[in-house]
Amino acid sequence: MDVSLLGQYVLNGLMLGTIYAMVAVGFTLFFGVLDVIKFSHGDVLMVGAFTGLVAYLGLSALGVQSNALLSLGVMLTAVPLIALLGAAMARWLVLPLRGSPPINVLLITLMAGTVLREAIRLFYPAGANPKPFPRLLPTDAVSFGALTLRFDSAILIALGLASIVAVHLLVTRTRLGLAIRAVAQDSETAQVMGMNFQRVVLVTFAIGSALAALAGVTAGLYYNEINFGMGLLLGVIGFSAAVVGGLGNLYGAILGGFLFAGLQTLGAVWFAVPAYKDVFAFAVVILVMTWRPTGLIAEQQAERV
Amino acid sequence: MLPRPLRAALCCALLLVAGAASAKQAVKLVFIGPLTGGVSANGLGGRNATDLAVRLRNADAKAKYQYELVSLDDECKPNIGVQVATKAAADRSIVAGVTHYCSTVAMATVDVYHKFGLPMVVWGAVLPDITYANDYPEVHRVNGTMINQNETAARFMTGLKYQRWAVIHDTTDYGKGHNKYFSEYLARNGGRILGTFGVTADQQDFSAELTKIKDLRPEVVYFGGITPLGVRIRTQMDKLGVKAVFQGTSGIVSDAYIEGLGPLAEGSLAFREGAPIEKLPGGKFFLEQYNAQKYNDPPEAYGAFAFAAANLVMDAIEKVGPDRKKVRSELNRTRDYQSVVGTITFDDHRQNAVPLITKFVVQDGKWIVWEDSDYAKGKRKLVQP
Amino acid sequence: MNALASQRAVLWPAFAATAAIAGFAYLFLRVEAQWEVVALTAGALVALLALGRTRLGAALGAAWSARPAPLAWGALLAASVVVALFAEDHFALLMIATVLLYGVACLGLTIQFGYAGVVNFSGAAFFGVGGYTAAVLATHTALPHLLVVAAGGVLAGAIGSLLVLPLLRTRGHYAALITVAFAILFKTFLEVNDALGGPQGLKVPGMRMLGWSFNDNIALGENTELSFYLSYAVFSLLLLAGALLLVRRLERSWLGLSLDAVRIDETAASVFGFEVARWKILAFTLGNVLAGTAGAVYAMMTGFVAPASFTLAESLILVSIVILGGLGNPVGVLAATALVVVLPEKLQVIQEYRFLLFSGFVILVLLFRPEGLLPRKLRQYLPGWGRA
Repeated sequence: MDVSLLGQYVLNGLMLGTIYAMVAVGFTLFFGVLDVIKFSHGDVLMVGAFTGLVAYLGLSALGVQSNALLSLGVMLTAVPLIALLGAAMARWLVLPLRGSPPINVLLITLMAGTVLREAIRLFYPAGANPKPFPRLLPTDAVSFGALTLRFDSAILIALGLASIVAVHLLVTRTRLGLAIRAVAQDSETAQVMGMNFQRVVLVTFAIGSALAALAGVTAGLYYNEINFGMGLLLGVIGFSAAVVGGLGNLYGAILGGFLFAGLQTLGAVWFAVPAYKDVFAFAVVILVMTWRPTGLIAEQQAERV
Repeated sequence: MLPRPLRAALCCALLLVAGAASAKQAVKLVFIGPLTGGVSANGLGGRNATDLAVRLRNADAKAKYQYELVSLDDECKPNIGVQVATKAAADRSIVAGVTHYCSTVAMATVDVYHKFGLPMVVWGAVLPDITYANDYPEVHRVNGTMINQNETAARFMTGLKYQRWAVIHDTTDYGKGHNKYFSEYLARNGGRILGTFGVTADQQDFSAELTKIKDLRPEVVYFGGITPLGVRIRTQMDKLGVKAVFQGTSGIVSDAYIEGLGPLAEGSLAFREGAPIEKLPGGKFFLEQYNAQKYNDPPEAYGAFAFAAANLVMDAIEKVGPDRKKVRSELNRTRDYQSVVGTITFDDHRQNAVPLITKFVVQDGKWIVWEDSDYAKGKRKLVQP
Repeated sequence: MNALASQRAVLWPAFAATAAIAGFAYLFLRVEAQWEVVALTAGALVALLALGRTRLGAALGAAWSARPAPLAWGALLAASVVVALFAEDHFALLMIATVLLYGVACLGLTIQFGYAGVVNFSGAAFFGVGGYTAAVLATHTALPHLLVVAAGGVLAGAIGSLLVLPLLRTRGHYAALITVAFAILFKTFLEVNDALGGPQGLKVPGMRMLGWSFNDNIALGENTELSFYLSYAVFSLLLLAGALLLVRRLERSWLGLSLDAVRIDETAASVFGFEVARWKILAFTLGNVLAGTAGAVYAMMTGFVAPASFTLAESLILVSIVILGGLGNPVGVLAATALVVVLPEKLQVIQEYRFLLFSGFVILVLLFRPEGLLPRKLRQYLPGWGRA
C-alpha cells in the first residue's frame, strides 16, 4: 500500500473519529454527573442536524448569500436550541426518575429518542427520505497521489477537535467545571456544600447536547446528506467509544472515538467482505473490555463500601 | 389539521354512510408494507398508491362493490409480517391483499397466505424465491424479480463498452440478491468485477470502502441497495474523488434520490422492470391523481406497482365476486392485463413475466428514459471508459 | 376469628382480581375500534394506579404471599379459559402465544438483571439462537421436537458462556457495553455469513409431538374447527407456567437470597463469603436458556427466522419490558409483556403514527410510575408474618 493511500485512510479515520469523539464526550459527561445511560443522544444529534438544515433554509430564504455567514448561522441556531432541548429532557425526563433504578432512565430516554426520530420522519416534509445538506465550506482539494484532502474535511476536523478542547477547558478550568466535577465525584457532598445539584445537571446535559448538535451539523456538512435514522448507529458507537475509553474521562472518550474509527477502517481494509468490519470492531471491543474492565483510561475512583 | 389516517377514517365513515344509501356491498382489501422504520418511505408510497386505487374505484359509479382498505404495518420485520399476515388472512371478511415491499417479510408470510387461502399480489419485494421457491396458487407478483433487471443491466452496460466494475451492495436480501445476479450476468457479458463490498444497511460512512475502490480504478460503481444508502455512497464518492459512472438498481429510481443529491445525481443510471409509467396513458393519469390527493409522501419506485396490483385485484373481484377461491383462480388466469406499469401476464408460478426493463438516467434533475436522454443521443457524455 | 377464616376471607378478592384480569385480557384482544383500545388502556392504568394506593392492593399482595398455591392454580385456570374462548380465532391465539413466549424470555432477563443485577442487552440474540437452532435441527435431523426446543435453550446457554468471562470482569455500564456489542455482532454476523441463510433467513418446520402436528387445525365434528395456534398457545402457556414456577422458587430459595446479595452490593457480598462469580454465571446462563427455549418455540410457531428479527432494537424491546414491568417482579413483567406486544398491534389503525404514540405512552407511564408498573416488594422472609 503506498503512502498516499495510507494517508487517505488515516484522514478518513480522523474525520470519523472526530465525530465519534464528539458524541462520546456527551455520554461521558452524563455518566459523570448522574451515572445514567441516555439512549436518545444519537437522536438528539439527528435533531441538531435537522435544526441546522432548517436554519440554512430560513436564512437562504431571507436572502443571505455568504457561505461563511450561513455556516455561522446554522451553528448558532442548532447549538443553543439543542442545548435547550437537552436541558429540557434532563429536567422533565431524567431528573424525575432519580429515585428509581438508574436503568429506568435508559428506557425513558430510549422512548424519547423514538419520539424524536418518528416526529422528524412524520412531520418534517417528506422526512422519511434522506435530505441534502448544503455544501457551505470551501470544497477545494489538494491531491497527492491517491490522497485527496478537501478543505472542508480539514476545517471540520479542526472545528470538532477545538470544540472538544473547549469542553475540556470548561470542565477543568472554570468554576462551573468545578461544580460539574464536584457533583460527578459525590453528588450528596456537593449538595451539602450548597451546590445547586439540579442546575449543575441541567447545564451538563445542555453542554453534552450542544456538542451533539455540533456533531450533527458536522456530519451534515461532511456527508452533505442527513436522514432521520442517522443518530441510531452514531449513538450506539458513541456510547461504545465512551465506555471503552473509560467513563467520566474526556480523554477516554476521545481515545475511544478514534479507536473505534480506526477499528472500522482497519476492518474495512482487511476483510474481503467489508461488512465484517462491525463484527470485527465490536469483537475487539469485547476483548478490550475483558482486558481492561473499566476502560482504557480506568476510572480513578475507589469502590465505596 | 388531523393526521391523515384519522382523516381517512372520517372519510371512510362518511363513505360508509353514503355507501349505505347506494346499497353497494362492501368488500375489504388489505395492504401490507413497512409504514414505520428505515424503509417506510417506500411503504408509505405503496400504501398511498393502493389507497388511491381504492378511492378512484369507489368514485366510479359502475363499480359493483364498495371497497374498504385495511392497511397494516409489517415494520419490515419477518416476525411482525407473519403476525399481520395472520391477522389479515384469518379475517374472512378480507378478500384479497396487496402485500410486502421487504423480501424477507414476503418469504416469511407466503406460507400464511397459502394456509389461509388468501389471494395476494406482491407489489414491491423482488427476491425471485418469493414466487419461484414455492407453488402456492395464492401468491402472485406484478413487479419483476431482480433476475430480469440485472440481465438487462449487464448487457446494456457492457454494450456501452465499460469493462471494469466495483460492486457495493447492502447486506440485506435485496442488496445481496442484486449482487449475485448482476455478477453472474456481467461475467457472461465479459465485464470484470475488481472488488465487491458488502455494507450494512444503516451504515453512514463509506470512506474506507470508497478509498479502496478508488485505488482499484473502476469505470463503473455498481450499487445494489435502496435510496438512502445510494445517496450517501454517491455523495461520498464525490468527496473522495472517485470518478466513475454510478449504476444503481430499481431501489434508487425515486425522486428522493435526486432530491437527496441535487446536481450530483446527474448521470446516475438505474434499471427498473415495467414500462416507464410517464409514457403510458394510464401512468400519466396515475401520477396526476396521486399528486391531486396531496399525500405527504411521494409514490417512490414501487407506488405504481402497488396501484396496478390493487386494480388487478379489484378487477378480479368485479368479475367473479368477493370470494377468495374465485378471485384466486381469476388472478391465476391473468393474461395481457393492461396496467399503469405495462402489460401483466402471469407465468406458471404466477410471476409477472414482464418482458420489458426500462433503463433510466438522471438528466437535469429528473429520471429520464435512456433512449430519450441527451446521453443516448450523444449530446452529453457519461464518464468515459 | 380464627386464622383459617381470615385467610379465606382474603382469598376471594384475589380470585376476583384474577377473573377481572382475565376478562380484561379477553376484551382487550377482542376490541378493534380506536376509542375502545384507548378506553381499555386508560382504564387498566387507572386501576393499576388505584391498586397501588388503596388497601385492596395490599390485601391482594398479602393473599398472594399467604396462599400462593390455590391462587396460582386459579390464574392458570383463568388463562386457560381465555385461551379456550379464542379457540377458533387464529390471530388472537397467535398474539396470546407471542405474549406468553416473550414473557418466558423476559422472565429469563428478570433472573439476569432483576435478581443478579447482570444487565443483558442481547436478549433478542439469545432468543434468536434458540430460533436458529430450531430451524437447523428440525429441518436437518429427525430429533424429536421437544428435544429440539430444549436444544435451543441449551445452545443459547452455551453461546452465552462465551460472554461469561468478560461479564465477570466488568460491572455496570461496562458490562452493558459487552452485551450491546454482542447484539450487534450477532445480527451482522448472521447477515454477512451465508451458512445460515444470510439476510434472507430460514424456514422453520412446524412443531410435531408424539405424532401430533401443531400446524394442523383441530377438527371437532362437522362444523367446528379449532385454530392450529391453539396447540402453540397451550404449549406456550405450559412453558410460561414452568418458567414462572422456576422463577418464584428461585426467588424464594437461598439461591434467590444469594442473587439479591450479589445485586445489591457485590463487594459486601464477597466480603461475606458469597461466590459472586458463581451466582452471576448461574443467573446469566439460566436466563439465556429461558430466552433460547422461548425463541425455539416462537420460531416454530411463526415458521421463519431472519436476522432482521433479532437486532439490538429487539433486545432493547425486551429490556424495556423488564424495566416497565418493575425490575424483579415476574407478575409485573407479564403485564408489561402484554402491553408492549399487544398495544402496538392494537395501534395498527393509526398506521405510521403508532410508534410515535406508543413511545409517548411509555414515557407517560414511567413519569407516573418511575419504578415500573408493579415494582418488586421487599422480601418477606416468613410469608404471612407480621400481618397479625
